[in-house]
Amino acid sequence: MKDKIKPRHTPGELRYTDLTAYDKGLVERAVRSGHSRRDVLKLMAVTGVSMATAQNLLSTGGEAMAQTPKKGGSVRMASNLHGPDDQLDPPLMTSTIDYTRSRVLYNSLLQHADDLTPQPELAETCEPNADATEWTMKLRQGVVFHDGTPFTADDVVYSMNRHIAEDSKSVIKSVLESVQEFKKVGPHEVVAVLKNPNADLPTLLGLFQTKIVKNGTTGDGIGTGPFTLESFEPGVKSTHLRNENYWREGANLDALEITAITDPVARVNALIAGDAQLVTQIDPNAFRQIEEADGVTLLSTPAGLQMGICCLRNTEPGSNDDFVMGMKYIQDRERIVNRILKGKGTLGNDHPVSTAHGADYCSELPIREFDPDKAKFHFEKSGYKSAELYVAPVMSGIEDACLLAQANCAKIGFDLKLKKVPTDGYWGAVWMKEPVNVVSWNMRPTANSQMAIQFAPGAAWNDTFWNNDRVGELLTLALAELDPAKRHAMYCETQELIHNGSGMVIPAFSNINDGIASNIMGMPKVPLGQLGGCEWPEFIWLA
Amino acid sequence: MMLQMVLRRIAIGIATILVVSVIVFVMTRLLPGDVAQIILGQGATPETLAVLRKELGLDQPGYIQYFIWLGDLFTGDLGISKAGGATISSLIGGRFGNTMLLAGLVALISIPISIVLGLWAAMHPGSWLDRIITFGTLSTISVPEFFIATIMVLIFAVELHWLPSTAMLADNMSFLELLRGLAMPIITLVIVVSAQMIRMTRAGILNVMSSPYIEMAILKGVPRGRIILRHAFLNAIGPIINVIALNLAYLVSGVVVVETIFAYPGLAKLMIDGVQTRDLPLVQACAMIFCTTYVLLILVADIGSIVSNPRLRHPK
Repeated sequence: MKDKIKPRHTPGELRYTDLTAYDKGLVERAVRSGHSRRDVLKLMAVTGVSMATAQNLLSTGGEAMAQTPKKGGSVRMASNLHGPDDQLDPPLMTSTIDYTRSRVLYNSLLQHADDLTPQPELAETCEPNADATEWTMKLRQGVVFHDGTPFTADDVVYSMNRHIAEDSKSVIKSVLESVQEFKKVGPHEVVAVLKNPNADLPTLLGLFQTKIVKNGTTGDGIGTGPFTLESFEPGVKSTHLRNENYWREGANLDALEITAITDPVARVNALIAGDAQLVTQIDPNAFRQIEEADGVTLLSTPAGLQMGICCLRNTEPGSNDDFVMGMKYIQDRERIVNRILKGKGTLGNDHPVSTAHGADYCSELPIREFDPDKAKFHFEKSGYKSAELYVAPVMSGIEDACLLAQANCAKIGFDLKLKKVPTDGYWGAVWMKEPVNVVSWNMRPTANSQMAIQFAPGAAWNDTFWNNDRVGELLTLALAELDPAKRHAMYCETQELIHNGSGMVIPAFSNINDGIASNIMGMPKVPLGQLGGCEWPEFIWLA
Repeated sequence: MMLQMVLRRIAIGIATILVVSVIVFVMTRLLPGDVAQIILGQGATPETLAVLRKELGLDQPGYIQYFIWLGDLFTGDLGISKAGGATISSLIGGRFGNTMLLAGLVALISIPISIVLGLWAAMHPGSWLDRIITFGTLSTISVPEFFIATIMVLIFAVELHWLPSTAMLADNMSFLELLRGLAMPIITLVIVVSAQMIRMTRAGILNVMSSPYIEMAILKGVPRGRIILRHAFLNAIGPIINVIALNLAYLVSGVVVVETIFAYPGLAKLMIDGVQTRDLPLVQACAMIFCTTYVLLILVADIGSIVSNPRLRHPK
């Protein structure tokens, strides 16, 4: 991503510094709002700016905004969770602290840009055949692992086939289900052979777990990444030094310490006191404290972090269409976003795709309004007078949202009982078991995978037990569709089917909220995880 | 006679440890979800669960898992963490050192302070200093430790920037840096444990002070300070040692709140992490260490009271 935007300047053309303050603001907003470079160029072309000028503006503008990254310094990052199960083996990684360490130590084949378009990383190119069933990747040459071993196709084949092996424990085994195998074609060429077409494969190759380890190893920390491993103590911390032989221009920081502070109040205090420069998961209650403190910044990235209530469709009361509709209409979505999430969120529309998914989000489908009368009508028609909702603090704000729903239900004479349970053990004991329960889903990189994981017929995590053959059909068709307009129409239909038919109530999506020291520059904004999708270690620098 | 009593205490201690091990083993298995389910979390499928369970040996019956573990324990092998794959001794090793460091420093400061203040209060009951001590200790006992800790962080780290907000240790720290890093957890814990010890010392001594032989000493004109130090303190020392022992055991095993707030990598926090990841060998190992610490300290306290008290030394 970084090596893609190289400043280019044509003499005699307009430069960023020549613009008025207002125009500078426009360019800056266009670049910063997460539009891809091509989008901004198109926008400028429409407004009558010549291509060369536009190129110039963008590159010099980017330059002026980014200033010159300074080398040196070190930071400490404090995640929200760690423990003896901290991993350096990419396929088994499940937490932000693991993902961050994987970004520090290893590289993927492809990398996500802020707008989720795949960018080259260890693979220089990734080209499909005509029907998207074979993807050929040319690998970067001259890359070496931390111990000096050269990086080759063997490492890729070994690392990637670990996910899809029969006895694989990989967290993303099902995500890469469509892949038959990764085959070595040459010393620096690999082909992914698919069982069925998948136009989203490049995006999947940038997932946290797809980092490339050395052939035959299981995550000993020796990768090709921007930092080397100095020490690692699970549940305590890891320390890292800059990899001076990195294949890109290399990290700006000299050293990193990655740890966690599990107590949310202590985490915020550590940030403000300067004991940690990057902290994850800021609770909405602490937004003001951070905004008012000197030297620290609240980093809120719009993301598809799903706040959901599952009504299981294979059992009472979720099997009743009217009960589910009542639950959907009783959600005061605006209030949840504005009051509970303090504005750091987006409205949900009872399907799992959010505006953060970009073009695949169906903006044509109107957001379901908060309508107590309709809710009352549906609850009465359903014949139920009460229901029990299992609530655990699986994400911040979800308990308050349930309390709000309870209060609104009480006003229309429906008794929504909240049964509070601990998060500890929730995913095994309550989720997908109790008839009505809360859920949170991290954002998946594509709208397709986001919907497929929960709503494709027979999906392993079909957490509302709702099966719709048309949804499955559309998801498969869309993967092979290369025309953006047709794809969008298909995804819109899918979202509408889920919006109306499934047992999933999604009133809101939460932003990802982190805190950083104000002198940290160059922070990426990939919405797939905390702290810019954990992409920061290679790119940030201290002003 | 005394040796027999001590041996009996030791036997009871070992029996206690064994009983606790069975209880811990059974209780940890009652937690919802096993290690495999916790490792895979929201991403678990029946297929991946089965593979992982087999690999971790979770498909064997419970009592076999228990006896294998107990056997390993006696040979000093604490086993391998099911969640991370590291050996338990390597996970516990550094943490145990950290916990002992913190507990040791706190004990070193709080025990002399408590005994001196307790004695002082007992020597001058009803004086202003006694009232201040009584009021102060009552207040700190009533206030939860997380409150004291959080207030201290807000004042000394967030506002004044005098001390670090977290007690993160590095290998290359000098002793002074170490003390600075640990200052806030130490002060918090000293406040928490001293209060109890001061009150116990004061109450124990005042209790003895009302007994006839002290009255006799007073009537004979022995100075009050000498009565307390020579006659009352030695007789009151039994319960005081017991309170000290309990507080030391608490410092080893029960300071999870303080460890969490200051992000201090100690043993209590490790055990909680172990519970959350359903890492049974880890939880059991921690529980055994805590249990052994309690039993040992209370054993020492009992022996201490027996030695210091002739009536217990020569039971009828």
